[in-house]
Amino acid sequence: MDIWISKIGYYFLNVGIVLVYGLLLGAFIAKTMARVQGRIGIPIYQPFIDILKTFTKRQAISHGIMFNLGPAFRLAGGLGTLAFIPVIYGNEMFSNFSAAGDLLLVMYFIFFGQLGMALGSGESGHPYAAMGIGRGLAQMTAYEVPFTLAVVAIFIQYDTSSITEIVAAQQGSIWNWTLFTNPLAVIAAMIAFLGMAAYPPFDVAMAPNEIPIGPPTEFHSHFLSMMQMNRAIFAGAKLILFMNLFFGGATGLIELVFKTWAIYMVAILVGAAFPRFRTEQAVRFFLGVPMLIGIASVLYIQYWAQ
Amino acid sequence: MVNSLTNPLNIIIITLLSSFLLPLIYQKSEQRAVNLFFAVLAAFVVISLSGYLQLLSGLPTIEVLTAGIEPPFSINLRFGIEEAFVTLAINVAALLGAWYLLPHLKTNAPLMLLFLIWIMGMNGMVMTRDLFNLFIFVEITAISTFVLIGFNRHNETLSAGFKYILAGSLASSFLLLGTMLLYFQTGTLNIDDLVAHQSLLTGPIGTAGLVLIMTAILIELKPYPANGWGLDVYQAAPTGVSALISVGVSASYLFALYKLLPLFDTLLPLIAIAGGLTFVMSNFMGLKQNQATRLLGYSSVGQVGLLVMALALLSQTNQADHYLLIAGGLFINHFLAKAGLFWLAGLAAEKDIKHWSHLKQHPVIFVLFVVLLAALAGLPPFPAFWAKWALVHTLVESQHYIWVGCILLGSLLEAVYLFRWYGYAKSKTNETAIVCQARQTFPIKLMVALLLLCGHAMAINFGLQPERVLLPVYAALAMLLLHKQPSYTKALVTLLITGIFTLQVLPTLTGLSWIFGMIFLVGSWVLTIGSLYKGTEQRPSYYPLLVMLILSLGSLLLATTTLEFFLAWEFMTVSSYLMVSLGKNAEKSSLQYLAFSLAGAFFILAGFALAYSETHSMQLSSFAQLAEHTVMIITLLLFGFLIKLGGLGVHVWLPGVYTDTDDDFTAIMSSIVSKAGLFGLFAVGIHITTQFNDIEALMFVLGWFGLVMALAGALMAVFQEDVKKLLAYSSVGQMGYIITGFALTSHMGWVASMYLAVNHVLYKGLIFLAIAGVLYRTNTRLMYKMGGLIKNMPISFVSVMIGIIAISGVPPLLGFGGKWMMYNALVEKGWYLQTAMAFFASAVAFLYLFRLIHTVFLGQQKTEHADIKEAPITLLIPQVFIMVIILAFSMFPHVLIEPLSTAISPYIASTITWTGHLLETKQGYWNGFMVMNVVAGIFLVPLFILWMLSKVTNIQPVKQFNIVFAAERPESPETTHYAYNFYAFYEKALGFLVKPNAIHFWDASAEWAHSFGAALRRFYTGNGQTYMAIILMYLGIIYLSMRAI
Repeated sequence: MDIWISKIGYYFLNVGIVLVYGLLLGAFIAKTMARVQGRIGIPIYQPFIDILKTFTKRQAISHGIMFNLGPAFRLAGGLGTLAFIPVIYGNEMFSNFSAAGDLLLVMYFIFFGQLGMALGSGESGHPYAAMGIGRGLAQMTAYEVPFTLAVVAIFIQYDTSSITEIVAAQQGSIWNWTLFTNPLAVIAAMIAFLGMAAYPPFDVAMAPNEIPIGPPTEFHSHFLSMMQMNRAIFAGAKLILFMNLFFGGATGLIELVFKTWAIYMVAILVGAAFPRFRTEQAVRFFLGVPMLIGIASVLYIQYWAQ
Repeated sequence: MVNSLTNPLNIIIITLLSSFLLPLIYQKSEQRAVNLFFAVLAAFVVISLSGYLQLLSGLPTIEVLTAGIEPPFSINLRFGIEEAFVTLAINVAALLGAWYLLPHLKTNAPLMLLFLIWIMGMNGMVMTRDLFNLFIFVEITAISTFVLIGFNRHNETLSAGFKYILAGSLASSFLLLGTMLLYFQTGTLNIDDLVAHQSLLTGPIGTAGLVLIMTAILIELKPYPANGWGLDVYQAAPTGVSALISVGVSASYLFALYKLLPLFDTLLPLIAIAGGLTFVMSNFMGLKQNQATRLLGYSSVGQVGLLVMALALLSQTNQADHYLLIAGGLFINHFLAKAGLFWLAGLAAEKDIKHWSHLKQHPVIFVLFVVLLAALAGLPPFPAFWAKWALVHTLVESQHYIWVGCILLGSLLEAVYLFRWYGYAKSKTNETAIVCQARQTFPIKLMVALLLLCGHAMAINFGLQPERVLLPVYAALAMLLLHKQPSYTKALVTLLITGIFTLQVLPTLTGLSWIFGMIFLVGSWVLTIGSLYKGTEQRPSYYPLLVMLILSLGSLLLATTTLEFFLAWEFMTVSSYLMVSLGKNAEKSSLQYLAFSLAGAFFILAGFALAYSETHSMQLSSFAQLAEHTVMIITLLLFGFLIKLGGLGVHVWLPGVYTDTDDDFTAIMSSIVSKAGLFGLFAVGIHITTQFNDIEALMFVLGWFGLVMALAGALMAVFQEDVKKLLAYSSVGQMGYIITGFALTSHMGWVASMYLAVNHVLYKGLIFLAIAGVLYRTNTRLMYKMGGLIKNMPISFVSVMIGIIAISGVPPLLGFGGKWMMYNALVEKGWYLQTAMAFFASAVAFLYLFRLIHTVFLGQQKTEHADIKEAPITLLIPQVFIMVIILAFSMFPHVLIEPLSTAISPYIASTITWTGHLLETKQGYWNGFMVMNVVAGIFLVPLFILWMLSKVTNIQPVKQFNIVFAAERPESPETTHYAYNFYAFYEKALGFLVKPNAIHFWDASAEWAHSFGAALRRFYTGNGQTYMAIILMYLGIIYLSMRAI
């Protein structure tokens, strides 16, 4: 029992770290983008103020119970995804509940929050919500293809689907990282990551530049604060996952921060440079060259590398 | 005394005597004449029956030589067991036929007289052993037939009768000529002597004689294409007469052919071709036919062709001991069913089968009609089913594969047009009820009873316990007695019967069968509770058929031999087909279902027969000894089972069926019946584990097939507007994974497959029941016409939500376990690209699942739905029950996985290990219990936040349309609810993948078959001269082919 209490304690420590880090990262990105566009941008603590503000605002309206539960699902999805990912390799404090399941569990649990959110925003009755979810799901089906292919390549390469063991296999030298042992898989996965991050050119689901559109349209005040929290945690969890799978994981917090930031910058750089895809363009894009790269990575590992 | 009574000569003597008496008595009193008429016919029956019984008890065959003179000057008769059987059949039919025709016959003494002479002629043809006698009886029969055809003196019937006499006289002259030539060669006319002197029948004269005689008999049996005259007769003649031509006259000619077969040793292939061609072609032509009597004509001609073919092939393969079983079974089936249907056609008094729906108003007649059709189509438990089983086995064993193909193709076509007829009768167009009295239906009822009796006897003959294997039919028939009770009572009785059956059967099952038992029996029991919501409707046939379906699924589980399996399979097919046909507007889709199901069943039959030819055992376990034909057998069986599973390419029946059936039955169909195909796969699969190496390539293809199916099913589901179609395609997709799991032929693959199957039962049953409630309340299947129903139907919403989370595989619900094991199994097998494909398909599933729940339950509510209520409680009870099971399995996955693993490990060694709740494979691990706890724990965090905030703020529920909508306030739900063409953008991107190619292909095939059938009818100009020319050409062609041989 004591083990569990300490595990839960450690887990919340993780959540705290990832939340703060995620929010900071968000601010940093916003600032970077602003500078790219020749603006000064927000102060680095702006996301904290935002959350505090939305959290303390009074929620005036509700569209129903499922509507209320939507953000709860969303946040639980982010928290859960983090819970099943070991954050820092070789450190019990940061292993979370990764003993409950392997990479497949994480890949499927990612959908948990999205599904709940989809139901919640669906009850709001706003057509933009349903439209945004439809677009997001459509895009998701497509970017999952190169991502899955990359993951399968990793399965073959390391002969395990346990995230901890995948990280373990990459220790020792920088040349042991998947990035260098299986570059095709990493390329495919990183392209998929662009879609997952929902930055341009794959941001049609949320369309953040227009008037509010997409799933969160009807959510205000503390609902919004929960979603902002989740955005930070979820982004953090996904970055850590990518770091673990492809970039050798992290053995310390500094390494973690550096690596995840670097991964995120890929999405930012692409996002700053490209305009937005329409949904069907995005779908076709992922099922084109990225998918072929993914297939190539599987075949490469299956037939040449071993 | 008894001996003299059974003397078959008495039939002829009595006829001759009464032909003097009848006109005399008729002038005194019509009634007495009628009495005498029936007395004579009854005497025929008594004579043949007592003879038959005596011969059965072992008395020797009776040989009659009249007046002590040798043939041809005497009448030489033989009365053996076969003759007794056929004459008994003819005489019974004659008696019943006379009863049916009585209103016409009694108006005219000569007609009664002719009728007697007619029957005597048939008897004589059966019994005579002399060629010249045969000719005489042929002439007697032909002349009386001609008169009886034309007795009502319509133009049509007279012209048909005239064509009949033209063709008949040509055939008789061939017969006479042939007889002369044979006599010239051998100096004898006795058939036995002729056979003994067969060596003399060579050279041009002997050959010509044989060809002439054979052609004469064949012509009388109406072979394609020289049978236009016969079809015109069937169409135009009074139905009572047609019935007896079809059964009685044909029977006597068939028997004549049978007698002469030893003479035609060298001609057997020709006879078989003539019969086979007729069988296939007439069934093709039947497809285009809408006239009831002509349709029956095609069927008659086809059935006789089949018999001719069977006789020829059986003598060719020296399988004489199967004669009685096969030929007898086919014969008696055709005999009883065709007579019954002709009589029914007379009662219906409606030429066009499209207007037969008046039958529906008369439940007894309707049931008779269905039973007769089923018998004619060769469905169990009727004799033709057994005969075809034996015939196919015999032919496969002697490697007559093409003939087997012909038989199965012809049977399929025949079933299609027969049940198309049923579909018309089922449809609602004609509201006036059929008028008839019990007196008229009596012969039909008797025929149906005899059919059932023969089927029962056949089951005994095949060494089965009829009370066990035929239980589904008997239970259904018993349930029909309740038809006047309210549906509520019937549902309760159904629950009672199936409940008792389940309690009886389930404890006897072990391993995989037990798991399937839980699915089939317990699953359908729970879903049947749901059907109580239609308690006020009458539903006269729903529950009997449901009982039949559930019991047949149970029999499937108990089957240990291929025969028992196939029998139960056919029962399941028939009952589910009939249930599908009960839905509104289900004519087309149910017919598709039947066609595909039967085609599938025939593939299974062929596979079983091929296996039997190799192992000579009907035990399912004997599949373990297969070596030579393993790949072929498994391929055939796969085709059969995949059709039932709705495999891609042959899935086209599925959406229509799921859409058009009653909503509560769709749940059973999708979650239970679809698993029968899977059971078939496993029932065979567990016995061939040692041959997995042989079928590796096949399984590799099957693995890809399943995944393509998973993707295509999901994509199709994404683009549907109709909620039941969406779920139907979703089933196609889910079945794809299950098939791939089976194809892995590894322990984990099979566990995954079974696990997914159990899941599918649970969540599809759940969702279909929930949707049944929605459809019941909203009266539409189009999702964009719904919306916002969560407020009115919260429990149904929760059902669907649990269901879609389970399907999607999102943890912590049980669906994830299936996905997890599937991916592990795929990776373990080294099917890597397949793994990614499976993932893609499962991602696409999210699209349709969201669409399902959003467009129905979320979004904006329609104005007219403001006041609808939650689904009826009887629908909700099973849903709640299923939800509890889903949650329990999600929490404790080992409760489900361990039995599956144990059930499979005797066949394939296990590769998974359990440590407490932790499940480990070579690659990965999963602790479902822990996941559930973690998720539940984590969920507390946001819930706590919500709860806290609800304390400090005052949240106002807002009304509909109160949304931030670009500064406007939307007013109409139709314009605000985002539902129609939901995934337009996805269709732009990937829609090209799901062009309905399969549907186009099958539509084109059906169209082609119909056009082909139409083209075949070109020979039938209706012109007697043409018919004569064709007959002559037929003779020529036979002669030339004979020379070629």
